[in-house]
Parts: sequence; structure tokens; C-alpha cells
Amino acid sequence: MRTIEDLQRDTDSAVAVAAPNGAVGAPLTPAPPRTFTPRRKKKPWKSWLLFLLFAGPNVALLIVFTYKPLLQSLYYSTLQWNLGSASAIPVGLGNYVAWFTDPGTARVVTVTLIFTVATVGGGMVIGLVFAVLLNRKLHGRGAARTIVVAPYVLSGVAVGLLWLFVFDPNFGITAALLDAIGVASPPWYNDPHWALVMVIIVYLWKNVGYVALIYLAALQSVPRDLLEAASLDGASPVRAFRNIVLPLLGPTTFFLSITTLLSSLQSFDIIQAMTRGGPLEGTTTMMYQIYQEGFQAGRAGYSSAVATILFAVLLVVTLIQMKYVEKRVHY
Amino acid sequence: MTATPTFTINRRQILKLAAVFGATATLAACSGPSLGAGAGAASRAATDWTGIVPAKEITWWSNHPGTSKLIEQEIIKRFQAENPEITVTLVTAGANYDEIAQKFQAASGTNSVPDLVLASDVWWFRYMINGQVLPLDDLAKHLEFDTDDFNKTLYDDYTFTGNHWAIPYARSTPLFYYNKAVWAKAGLPDRAPKTWAEFDEWAPKIAADGGVTPLGLGKGASWAAWWFCNMLWGQGGAYSDEWTMTLDTPEAIAAADYLQSLIYERKVATVAAVDQVADFGAGLTGCIMGSTGSLTGILKAATFEVGTGFLPEGPEGQACPTGGTGVAIAADRTPEQQLAAGMFLKFLTNSENTAYFSSNTGYMPVRTSARDGETMTQVYAEFPQFRTAVDQLETTRSQDWGRVFVPNADKELTTALEKIMLQQTAPAEAFAVASTAIATSFDENVSPYL
Repeated sequence: MRTIEDLQRDTDSAVAVAAPNGAVGAPLTPAPPRTFTPRRKKKPWKSWLLFLLFAGPNVALLIVFTYKPLLQSLYYSTLQWNLGSASAIPVGLGNYVAWFTDPGTARVVTVTLIFTVATVGGGMVIGLVFAVLLNRKLHGRGAARTIVVAPYVLSGVAVGLLWLFVFDPNFGITAALLDAIGVASPPWYNDPHWALVMVIIVYLWKNVGYVALIYLAALQSVPRDLLEAASLDGASPVRAFRNIVLPLLGPTTFFLSITTLLSSLQSFDIIQAMTRGGPLEGTTTMMYQIYQEGFQAGRAGYSSAVATILFAVLLVVTLIQMKYVEKRVHY
Repeated sequence: MTATPTFTINRRQILKLAAVFGATATLAACSGPSLGAGAGAASRAATDWTGIVPAKEITWWSNHPGTSKLIEQEIIKRFQAENPEITVTLVTAGANYDEIAQKFQAASGTNSVPDLVLASDVWWFRYMINGQVLPLDDLAKHLEFDTDDFNKTLYDDYTFTGNHWAIPYARSTPLFYYNKAVWAKAGLPDRAPKTWAEFDEWAPKIAADGGVTPLGLGKGASWAAWWFCNMLWGQGGAYSDEWTMTLDTPEAIAAADYLQSLIYERKVATVAAVDQVADFGAGLTGCIMGSTGSLTGILKAATFEVGTGFLPEGPEGQACPTGGTGVAIAADRTPEQQLAAGMFLKFLTNSENTAYFSSNTGYMPVRTSARDGETMTQVYAEFPQFRTAVDQLETTRSQDWGRVFVPNADKELTTALEKIMLQQTAPAEAFAVASTAIATSFDENVSPYL
């Protein structure tokens, strides 16, 4: 990440390099040293009061609805506790041990990984393609933009119920379309792998508009003169896109990679509406498992342990992204 | 482009953060369950009901099974006309039994607990071991409930340690539905097959002359492991004997082998993708095992005449599980509220209201007097299919503990049955995985609380 100081240093060195050639002209006169003007010092309690006034309500809400539940869940993860029961048995790290040694955990992790990689990766690629297409001067561009973005604002449950019928192998549109070209409908609901493909498709359909929207905004801020200069220099549109546009989209890509990853790992509504984690638990992600264990099975402690593990994964992934990926974003 | 500020943390910020977390952690530790095992309802001291004055206001959480909101409101109106000093508030607390249960469990220990709550066949036991519901026998005796009139199986479904923990309300069973047009084309008698052996004889005709897949099967949680009770018990098997899983017995394996052979060897059954009832209504399958609760919907949706019959018998005879929901009274309320709730519960499940509810929803009349009364007789005249469901009630039995009383058991059994039906996994292998998981869940989530 670059700071103001870095930029300042770069400018200074650029000036220093440029000066000997005489292209820029005479060296700049050094800035006069800052003089210290005594200011009336604010009373600290006054600024604290202001802080409390402005940030207080927000902080209070965050503590009550985010940090407290977070820590509470951390505490519950050390208990063997039936949801609804007035008493619980402390088991230390027992729930974590149980999760890591459960034979079903490998499947849940695999499903979560496939779902996340497919929805985040696929979403970014398709979203970018849409954004590039929608950035062109085409007839009906406004309508097309609305159509691409519209699913994003719909409720996930409504989307899930809608697609439930679309994928129905007996009555659905996909079955009719595939039938028209002489292909039988895949067993979307009866095969765990196809079911996972199905929920990924629906997730992408719903959320790709968000990626497209953000990328579109970023594309519109790419300076035209850079592209014109490149085309004058004989760069093909593909080359210009790869070497100029893509790097300029770096910060946007970084931002999207974090936000889409977080929402993908936390997605629940479509799975609940379409497959309820089945068949054969083939669409049970970690998020769905938290719900399933906590509210269906009533294993509040175990469920909290899975939630804590997912939280840790999200935290680590986000920190890694902030530390490494962001450094490679060019500007 | 603007440069974003660098993400740095200094010692002071860490200390501040730690202070905020510390304060929050203290807050967090203030709430939640107390530590230590076994505070089940059984340990609660019995209430002496004489001399207690019923509360003026009570709340009832329902999901209005069978779109019965108006029916429930009408019953409340009738109750308040008889007992003007008590107001009953009906709350829609979910769209199904699971959602009601989730809210009821989450409300535990707060002031939001209702006085009356629906307690379905897979949930009431967990309410009980959590100490959330009241044993009803003393209260029923005090209020002079006519409990002998209840269908015995349905009433005793809620028995554990000699107490009843709920009263039957919206109860259902699976029922055999068949497409009469298909039956006629196949030249079959106009009735359900009496046994699975008879179905085996009929199935090729249904496929060849009827032109449809003979049998539609349903998958998914809260469903597959319910209707499979029929095949399992019909072969002489069971999910469990009390708390011991018995899925490794030759009878249980035989039942699953039979199920698998219907799909893979004889190819006379198919597993519905989304909704077996919709597939049947659209004429894709010749017959299904559905809930009696679907009766009204199926009769309305089907474009053909629908016949109903008992579930086919296995080699060991007739086998049909019960299902649906009862109503329980919350333990965490004052005796005054519980008494008022008991008065309403008695009224709700009296003979007249049972018939009123049943005739309007399609759920089973849970009282013998209601079953044989005038209201229901009229219903049977109009929908003879309903009579079949009611007659079958006499053959039902309560479900195995290993499915309905252990958290996650239904999920494990569903997965096993889906493996058997969808992936042709050997039954012994699929059942072994489920049995181990259910036994572990019992050790962790049930036995410490008993």
C-alpha cells in the first residue's frame, strides 16, 4: 500500500532525476522550514465527548450485535450444549477435535472450497466480461446494464425458489432446452455433484451483476488518453486491455476479491431454498453446516466451534490478502 | 487515484482493542447456559394445582399446520366466549415445525417463551430433555381431560418416563395414493396393493400398459426416513430398539435391499427430483406414499381420479408410522399461566374442536369420539379417500427412538437412504455409517441429559 509520504518521495526523486538534464528547469527551492505556531490545545475530555457522541451509537451497536456474539460464540464452542437447554457441559476443545476428526469434515471442506473458488473466480471473470461488454457503445446498453445488475438486488430465497423450477428435470426450462437438442437433463437434484454445479450457477447468476457493476465503474475511470496513446503506438486492443486496463483495475480486483470471497463463504439462502444441503450433503458448505448443526441438530456448542473455525479462516484469508495481494496492486 | 492509508496497528491501539474485547467478553460470560449436567424437566417439583387462579393472558406459538390460521382463530374465539377472563394470543412463530422449534429453543431462558407451543414428533423429546416443557399428566387430571378418548397410539407418542409431554393435535400418517386412470389402463382392480409382493406383480403391468413409472419415491430430510418405516417394519426390522441402533439386523438390510431393487433391478420406482407429490399430480408416476396432510392438495391438483389405500404390508404385516404435531406447555412459565394454558389445551383438543379442525384441514381426528362423530361422517361421505386414512390410523405405531429422539438422527438416516436410493451403495455400508453417527450423537446429546 502506498502512502502520501511515498508519493511525495517519488515526486521528489523524479524531480531530482529530471533536474540534471535541464528538462524541467532550475532545481526547486527547498521549502521553508515549518514554523511552529502555538495553537490553543483542545481539552482531551472534550474530544472524547465528541468521539463518544459521533461514534458511540455505532460502537455500542457493534459491541452488542457483533463483538459480543462473536465472543459468546467463542465461549459456547467450548461447551457441549443442546440449544434450548438451561445447562451445558464444558468440554474444552472437544468440539474442535470432534470437527477435525469427523469423517464428514473432509467433504464439507471440499464442497466449501469448490463452491468458493467457483463462485469467486467465476464471478470475477464473468463479471469482468459483462463489464467490458457493457462499457461499449451498444444499442440498448442501459437496458442490458439493468438486466445484468437486477438479480443482485433480488432476495436469495426468491431466486432459489425460481431456479428450483428452472432446473426441474421433468418440468423445468433447462430440461426443455436440453431436450430440444436431444440431451437428457442431468440429475440436478439427485446427484450431489450436479447439485453443487446447480447452486454455483444460481449463485453466479444472482451475484455476477455486483461484480459487473463495480468493474464497469472502474472501467469508466480508465483514462482514455492512455488507450489512445497505446493504439497510436500500434498496440492491439487485446494487448492494451492486458497491459493497461487490467493493471489499472488492480485495486478494484483486490476489493472485489475480498468482498466476493466473504459473501461466498457466508452464502446460505440459495442452498437453503434449493437443496437444503443435499442430496447426500453434497451442497453442505461450512456455513450451511453451522445452521444445520446449530438449529436442526441443536448442537449449539459444536455449531459454534464450526463458526469459530470459519471465522478464523476468513480472518486469515483477509489478512493474507491485505498483506500480500495488495502489495502487488500497482497503484 | 487516491492512495489508501496504510493498515498499521500500534501498541496503544492493541491495548484499546483488548480493552473493548475484554469488556465484551465479560458481558458475554454473563449470559448463556449454566454449567453442569442434567437439569431436565423430570427433576422439577410437581405443582399443586388446587387454589391456583388461571392467568388472564396466554400466548400460543403455531405455524398453523394445513393453513389452519383461521380455524385456530375461530377456536380461540369460541374459547374466549366460554372463558371471557382469559385472552389467548395466537402467534405465527414459523412456517413449519422446525422453525417453531428453532425459535422456541432460542427463546429458552428469556421472557419471550410462549405458554403453548407446537411440539412435533421429532421435536417434543428435545424440548423435554432440555427441560423446556411441562409434564402434563397432573394438570390433565386436575382439569379432567378425557384422555381415554384419544387415539391411544397418538396420545402415547408423547410418553417418556411415565409422563405425557404433549397432547396430540395436527397428526398425520403416510398414505398410499394411486392414479385410478393408470390402474384402469393396466387392468388392475381399483384398490391399493395389499402387500408389497402384490405391488411387485402389478408393477410391470403399470409400466407397460399404464405407460408411467409405477412408484414415485421421495427423498430429503424429515421425509425419506419417515415413509421407509413402512418397508423397515414390514420386514420385521426397526431403526432402533429403544436407544440401541438395530440397522445391522438381517430384517433391516432386507428392507433396504428391497427398496434398492425396486429402483435398480426391477426399475419400477424412481426418486423424485424435487417433489414427488407434484410428479404424481402431473401423471409421471402411478402411485406414491404421501402424507395424509397432502390429501386435500393432491385431490385438488390431480387431473385424474385419485385412489387411496393403506400402505402395502411387508412379510411381517401392516406397518405405518405416525407423524405431525402435538401441543406442549412451556415449563418456564408461572403456574397461573400454565393452568390457563392447560384450560385452553383441553378446549382445543376436545371432541368438537378436534372434529372442526380435522374436517377443515385433513389432519387425523385424534379423538375416537370425533372420528365417529357427525362432522367427520359428513366429510367421509364427501371424500371417501379420507376414510381410508382414518381407518389406517388403527394400524399405526409410534416411531423408533433412534430416529425421532436423537439430534441429527433423521439427517443421518436420510443420508443413508439417499446413498441406497441414489448411489446404489450397499445397505449394510450405508446403515453402518448412520448407526455409528447416531450412537455418538446419543452419547453426546441425549444420555447426559436423561
